[in-house]
Amino acid sequence: MSTRLLTDQTMFQIYLPIAEISVNLLVMLGLGAAVGFLSGMFGVGGGFLLTPFLMLSGIPPAIAVATGANQIVGTSVSGTLAQWRRGNVDLHMGAILIAGGVAGALVGVLLLRYLRGVGQAGLIISLTYVVFLGTIGTLMLWESVNAIRRQWAGKTVSARKSGQHNWVHGLPFKMRFPRSRLYISAIPPLVIGALVGLLAAFLGVGGGFIMVPAMIYILRMPTNVVVGTSIFQIIFVTALATLLHATLNHTLDILLAFLLIIGGVVGGQFGVRAGQKLRGEQLRALLALMVLGVGVRILIDLVVRPADLYSIIPMSGG
Amino acid sequence: MHLTTRLLTALLGWALFAGLVSAQEAPPPAPVIKPGTSQERVQADISTREVAIQSDFSGIEILIFGSIDFSDARMPSQSTYDVIALVRGPDDSITVRRKTRVAGIWVNGRSATYPDAPSFYAVLSSRPVRAITSNETLHGLGIGLSELDFGRETAGNPQEQSFESALIRLMEERNLYKEDDSGVVFIGRSLFRATVALPANVPTGRYRVEVYLFRDGDLASKTKGSLEVNKVGMEATIYNLAFHQPFLYGLLGIAIAVLAGLMGWIAFRRD
Repeated sequence: MSTRLLTDQTMFQIYLPIAEISVNLLVMLGLGAAVGFLSGMFGVGGGFLLTPFLMLSGIPPAIAVATGANQIVGTSVSGTLAQWRRGNVDLHMGAILIAGGVAGALVGVLLLRYLRGVGQAGLIISLTYVVFLGTIGTLMLWESVNAIRRQWAGKTVSARKSGQHNWVHGLPFKMRFPRSRLYISAIPPLVIGALVGLLAAFLGVGGGFIMVPAMIYILRMPTNVVVGTSIFQIIFVTALATLLHATLNHTLDILLAFLLIIGGVVGGQFGVRAGQKLRGEQLRALLALMVLGVGVRILIDLVVRPADLYSIIPMSGG
Repeated sequence: MHLTTRLLTALLGWALFAGLVSAQEAPPPAPVIKPGTSQERVQADISTREVAIQSDFSGIEILIFGSIDFSDARMPSQSTYDVIALVRGPDDSITVRRKTRVAGIWVNGRSATYPDAPSFYAVLSSRPVRAITSNETLHGLGIGLSELDFGRETAGNPQEQSFESALIRLMEERNLYKEDDSGVVFIGRSLFRATVALPANVPTGRYRVEVYLFRDGDLASKTKGSLEVNKVGMEATIYNLAFHQPFLYGLLGIAIAVLAGLMGWIAFRRD
C-alpha cells in the first residue's frame, strides 16, 4: 500500500533545472490551467495570482517572479491576437506605454537583484503584493458592489462621456491617438507605462490590473480599446522583464514556464467561454474577492510568527 | 550451512578485493593507527559512481559496500570491528538569516555566511560514533555534525553558535545533513553495507566517500572513493544555457512562450 502510494507520487515528479527542486508535473500543469482559466474569465493576465501561488508551492521568490513573467508573455500573445482581430489595439498608445515600460522594467530587475543580495527580496515582494492586491481588491469590490446595488435599484449605469476633460489635458507634449480618439500629452502614458513596467519586472505580473483602471480613469481611453492595448503592451514589457531576469539574475526556469504556459493557454480558452456566461459586475466582484484573498494570505505569512525564525540560502542555488 | 556461509563470504570478499583495488589508498598519515597491531584492511566501493540528475530525478539511494580483510573475528556476534562511512558533498557558501519582528512584520534580520559549508554531509556508522571511539579521534578525523568546519570562527560566541546550530538543523530538515547510528550493517563476519539517500534537492558536484574501520576504538584502516552528481540530458543543457548563454536562454524562453500563445490561439479561435 505504502509502496504503491510512493510510486504514484514519484511518477509525475519533474526536476526543475534552475529552481533545483522536484515538483509534480500535474500540479504545475493544473496551476497554469487554473490561473489561465481565471485570466481568460476575467480578462486579466493572472500573474498576480500565479506568482504568489508559485511562491507558496516552494519555488524561490525570484525564480517565481522571472518564470511568472515568461508565462504571461505566452498568455498575452494569444489574448492580443484575439483582440487584434476585433481592432481593439491602439498601436500609438501601445508604443508610448512600451517606451515607458522598458525603463520601468530595467529599474525593477535591478531593484530585485539588489534586494536579493541583501536578503530582503521575499519580504519586499510580499509587502508590495499586499499593498497592491489590498488596494485594487478593495476598490474593485467597492465599485462592483455599488454597480450591483444600482442594478437592483433599477437605475442605469452611467457610461463614460467621450471628450471629458481633466488635468491630463493641461500637460505639454500633446500627441494624437486616432484609435482612442484622444489628443493628450505623452507624459501620463509614459509614466503609467513605466510604473507598470516596474511592477511587471518586480512582481512577475503583467500589470493589467493597474493599467486598465489607469487607462479608463486617467487617460480616459474608450473601454473597447483598453483591454486590447493593455494586453498588447504587456507582451513587450513581460518579454523584456523575462530577458533581463534571465540575463542579470539567472532566475528563469524555462521548464517550469513551459508547463505553466501549456496549462495557461488551454485553461485561458475555457475561461473566456465561462466568463461570457457571467454578468460583468458579478465577475468583477468575484475577481475582487479573489484578489483580496490572495493579499490576505500573503499578509498572514508576514504577520504570523514563522515556525522557524532561521532560513538558509546556498549561494550557488536560486 | 556454516561452511557455505564462510565460502560465500570469502568469495564475495575476494570479488570485492579483485574488483576494487583502485579504491584502496595508501595507509593514512594516521594519528591513531598503531603500527603492527592490526593487519586488517577495509575495502569498499559505491554502487553508483555517477548520479545523473534527469527530469524524472526524485532522489536516489546509493549503496556503500565493503569488506574487512584479514578479519580475526571468529563469529559474527563477536565482532570487535566498527565501521564509519562518511559522504561529503562539495563545499558551498551558505548564508543563514534570522527573522526579527519589525513593526508587526517578520523580516530577515542578522545573518551569518559560512564560506566552506559542505553542501551534503552524511555519517553512517555501525554503532553511535561516540561509542566507537574517543572524541579526540572523531575530532581529528572530522567525523560527526558537531565536528564540521564551516570556515568561520564561532567558538565561544553564543549568537554565532545559534546560527551554526540553525544551519545544521535546517540542512538536516532538507535531508542534506544526516547522522545514522545504525546506517552500517554487517553481513556475516566481514562484509558490511550502508545506504545513503540523496534527496531530489541534492547539490551537484564531486562527493567524497570515506570509510573508516575501527577495532576496539582504534582506527585500523581507511579507504576513500568518490562519486559525481551531475545534471545530464535536458537538465544539463538548460542549466548550462541559463548560466553560460543567459541572453540566448532568455530569448529562447520568450520564443517558446510566443509560439505556445500563437498555437493556443490558432487551436481555439472560432472564426
